[in-house]
Amino acid sequence: MKKTLYIFQSGELRRKNNSLYFETDGRKKYIPVEDIGDIYIFGEVDVSKKFLEFASQKGICLHYFNRYGYYMGTFYPREHLNAGHIILKQAEHYLDTTKRILLARSFITGALRQMCQVLKYYRGRLQKGKGEIEDILVQLQSEKETANERGESVEELMAFEGHAREKYYKAFDYILNHPDFVFEKRSRRPPLNRLNALISFGNSICYTMVLSEIYKTYLDPRIGYLHATNFRRFSLNLDVAEIFKPIMVDRLIFTLINKKMITKKDFDKHTDGILLSEEGRKKFIVELDNRMKTTVNHRHLGKSVSYRRLIRLEIYKIQKHILDEKIYEPYQSLW
Amino acid sequence: MDYEMEVTGTHIWYYYICHREVWMIVHQLAPDQEDDNIEIGRFLSEHTYQRNKKEVVIGNIKVDRIRKEGEQLIIGEVKKSSRYKQSARFQLLYYLDTLRNMGIQAKGELLFPEEKKKEILEWTAQDKEELDKAIGDIQRIARLPVPPSPKKISFCSNCAYREYCWAEGTE
Ligand code: SF4
Repeated sequence: MKKTLYIFQSGELRRKNNSLYFETDGRKKYIPVEDIGDIYIFGEVDVSKKFLEFASQKGICLHYFNRYGYYMGTFYPREHLNAGHIILKQAEHYLDTTKRILLARSFITGALRQMCQVLKYYRGRLQKGKGEIEDILVQLQSEKETANERGESVEELMAFEGHAREKYYKAFDYILNHPDFVFEKRSRRPPLNRLNALISFGNSICYTMVLSEIYKTYLDPRIGYLHATNFRRFSLNLDVAEIFKPIMVDRLIFTLINKKMITKKDFDKHTDGILLSEEGRKKFIVELDNRMKTTVNHRHLGKSVSYRRLIRLEIYKIQKHILDEKIYEPYQSLW
Repeated sequence: MDYEMEVTGTHIWYYYICHREVWMIVHQLAPDQEDDNIEIGRFLSEHTYQRNKKEVVIGNIKVDRIRKEGEQLIIGEVKKSSRYKQSARFQLLYYLDTLRNMGIQAKGELLFPEEKKKEILEWTAQDKEELDKAIGDIQRIARLPVPPSPKKISFCSNCAYREYCWAEGTE
């Protein structure tokens, strides 16, 4: 499994013959290119055209974040895997409303199931708030049923998802029960409190991770089903990330806060909002990277796979659905 | 008339191992490029000998060795193990048949140097019938709109498609 490289420093990424190096303050750090799957760039990093050509050739995606930690964009090398047949099928599933709704609905019900799983896990561990979480679970359950039965357009489905997520986030206050990390309400750009800052940062990493995995398959990330396609931005990764956000991002946030790995000090106040500091982002990334390397047993494959790999498998499942081979069943964690 | 896909030695090789894999190869769905275990090229080269300078290209077939015994032309296919013998036999038979269509009568030998085994193969009408059936079946598989479902076989554990085939179901 290839590694992800995270660059927080400022400097230059260069190519020299067949290797890559990162130069900062006159020091060169060589990067074993064959091991690298993707690169996250948080610092002020200059790249040369030669570098980009090389990254392209090696199939490395570069994800850019600005100095506040906002996702800016991805250098997505030209598709190296290309199968006309699959692109046509992918478009067919987008253009045919029934087919599109079927997929969009799977992403929503899959996401809701994962949210419930997270809540159930914490419900058992709480001193206070068990009853409240129970209530929220019931509401999510009914939201899921409604989406299953009544969601007849993507807009409707999105609305169900929105309601459900609102309820789900309410549970965060019971799970965390921490004065420094209250949810209040969801605020994105800019996040208005620390918890929102964590969620936004985590989600943006989740979207890019899924994007890197899509790159390794034949699917086109521009054609999503739940999130509207506008042929400029990537959207399939947003769809797939719905399934993984609860376990990848939310659970990580709970751990970081409960174990006091991230505290009030890891945030910076800006004129209009609150964001993770550079130090905070580093802590987040280190823990996330560890989590993504953890393995779970996979019954069918007959071996363990990392969380990161689970994302790839999920995309394979979607590819199979699109090829009409097997109806997509979203991943469900059992813990 | 429908366009018929041209069947190659690789298709025949995989046909006797896994029909699903044949479909994937025909549809040019490359297996996982990062698979730790194996990918097709590597697999083939591990199960055959390093294709070297002795390799001869005739039309669209590649044979490992070619020699003459009197007037008899003998083409040799070197394999590392006899584990996939059926695949190897029909691959070689396909070469013999291709040569026959060019007006060349040849015999074949399958060589397993590590096992110190050798097997002579001659074109027979009966085998040819079986080969044609296989070719027809490969073309049928190629036309299927969806790949044949995966079946768990021992080959799966080394197959670069395994994560794709077995993506469903986690514990
Ligand atoms: S994993 Fe098994 S079923 Fe899938 S292509 Fe390989 S051999 Fe065939």
